[in-house]
Amino acid sequence: MGQLLTVNKLTGGYQRSRPVLHDISFSVNSHEIVGLIGLNGAGKSTTIKHILGLMEPHGGEVRLSGKTWAEGKDDYRRGLAYIPEMPLLYEEMTLWEHLELTAMAYGLEETVFKGRADELLKEFRMGKMVKWFPSHFSKGMRQKVMIMCALLIHPSLYVADEPFVGLDPIGIKSFLDRMVEMKRNGCGILMSTHILATAEKYCDRFVLLHNGQVLLQGTLKELQAQANMHGADLDEIYVEMTKEDQ
Amino acid sequence: MMIDEKKLWSRRKRGYWEMAIKYLKLIGNSGFLFTIYLLFVFGSYYYGQFLEWLPQTFPTTLFFTVIFTWLITRGRVRTFAKPGDLFFLTPCEGKLKNYFRSALRYSWMMETMWIALVMLVLSPLFFDRIHPSGSLVFSIIFLLSGLKLWNLAAGFEEQRLQEKNRYILHTFIRLGLTGVSVFALFSLQSVWFILGLALALILFYAGYFYRLSKLHSLKWERLVEIEDSTVMTFYRVANSFTDVPALKSKVRPRHLLSPLYRFVSYKKEHVYRYLFSRAFVRSSDYFGIYMRLTLLAILFLSVVQIDWGRWLLVVLFSYMTALQIETLKHHYATSKMVDLYPVSEGYKLKSHQFWILVLGSIQSLVFSVGLLIMYSPMDGLFGLGLTLIVYVYHSFIRLPKRYMV
Repeated sequence: MGQLLTVNKLTGGYQRSRPVLHDISFSVNSHEIVGLIGLNGAGKSTTIKHILGLMEPHGGEVRLSGKTWAEGKDDYRRGLAYIPEMPLLYEEMTLWEHLELTAMAYGLEETVFKGRADELLKEFRMGKMVKWFPSHFSKGMRQKVMIMCALLIHPSLYVADEPFVGLDPIGIKSFLDRMVEMKRNGCGILMSTHILATAEKYCDRFVLLHNGQVLLQGTLKELQAQANMHGADLDEIYVEMTKEDQ
Repeated sequence: MMIDEKKLWSRRKRGYWEMAIKYLKLIGNSGFLFTIYLLFVFGSYYYGQFLEWLPQTFPTTLFFTVIFTWLITRGRVRTFAKPGDLFFLTPCEGKLKNYFRSALRYSWMMETMWIALVMLVLSPLFFDRIHPSGSLVFSIIFLLSGLKLWNLAAGFEEQRLQEKNRYILHTFIRLGLTGVSVFALFSLQSVWFILGLALALILFYAGYFYRLSKLHSLKWERLVEIEDSTVMTFYRVANSFTDVPALKSKVRPRHLLSPLYRFVSYKKEHVYRYLFSRAFVRSSDYFGIYMRLTLLAILFLSVVQIDWGRWLLVVLFSYMTALQIETLKHHYATSKMVDLYPVSEGYKLKSHQFWILVLGSIQSLVFSVGLLIMYSPMDGLFGLGLTLIVYVYHSFIRLPKRYMV
């Protein structure tokens, strides 16, 4: 279980004078799903942006397979796939073109791409829509396109920001099944979500963010111990821990 | 709390103009002003010739009557009404007199401006065929403006009519009365006749249209509809020069252009080529502008008989087209996904250059074939060479600088 992603004493935000994240440290290993949990405004999305290399840290560092973004951005980016909270699609491209472009950008062989694409289209039941433009897609279908693009490229790390929003139950199940499979193959997955029951079922460890700081982290058992709430589920711990400073 | 109708009016007017000025600026920057200027220069040159060519039997009076009857009958009072007004303003409808008076005054001013503009553009024809006096033109503009005021006021009262067919019938009655009045003006009837006509119109308004306002309530839905269609017209015009988010021009597949995609084979280096090709062909109006500029250039080339004038046109239009394709650079500026691709930025410039050269070559062929058919093989060759020089300059010298910024 090598450390895939290490976030080390990360301080960051949009303005140097007003950092949003304070001294955040956690890691994601291969063969592991880590849940990133926190209230709205806790700093989840900012943390993710730092991991993606879209923002530069004020202090501390983010390493993917031992390298920071600045040390080699193309290598860094090839190692991860991002599933955003709001589907980011190109309005002027068809579903198939989204897949093809993604495959091209990540340097997949054309035959490999076609094989994987057909499989994904079947699994997510989007085979009939390959020539459709995003304006004809529902929110859930748009999300599926993002998920398929991410699954296509077989990265070592997946970063998923609220991936379930708008997905139908079958879509959620396909996504989670795939995540479990990827984990078995050696990937690491960082998933931010508000759906705690699902998180509790699928995540191996949790990082609980609050006001830009890591409040608790570890397996469910460890969280229970740290919060002194033995036998409590994730929901209860979450509510209890975030209640305090009111 | 009472609604301050004066403030409400000025706030809405300001809101509209802030939006409109933003678009007007963009239109001004898009090379449109320059086209207008060119049109003006060539137009004034050919205007005289056109007037000489126009046969003496041309029904000038009738022509003016039709144009101005249409200009004066069309258009209604702009109220800046919003859908929310159906809910929030209907309770104080009776207290909005001043609001609607401001609206009437505003619309009158704007419409008068248009009438004056059209009259000035047509004035050479007027001097040549109707009467050579300049002061007469101004008196006619003044009287036309008065007629417009009558139309706007009457038109505002007639929107109170619930039934669509009565509403349309009234518009037709106005059309008839306006037509008669405009004809009286352009056939230069006596002052007494015109005064009598004006008096009759005023009496008709006071005796009939004014009464409508006492009998019927405002039809807010119609006011909103009128406002909407006015704004939409503006958006549509603006949309031919720049992107109007409110119109969110639909993506058009344009299957006929798919052969262009063959220039993009499956290759990591071609990611930006791929993106640009789809953006150019399908999204907003890159392709539309490219076509319009190319056709407009051909049109201009067909009328300009001076050699150096044609060279200038070829250079100007190819450069304007190149500047439009240049804006593809920003098309994906807000897309986070592009930022995440493990693809070097250097490919972006190369792909952009590639498309500018491909599209430029196509345009140069169109220009040279056009010149060859209309003038001579020499002209065709010159056109080809000049267009290619412009595109090579743009893609290898100007564009890299844009990417440095």
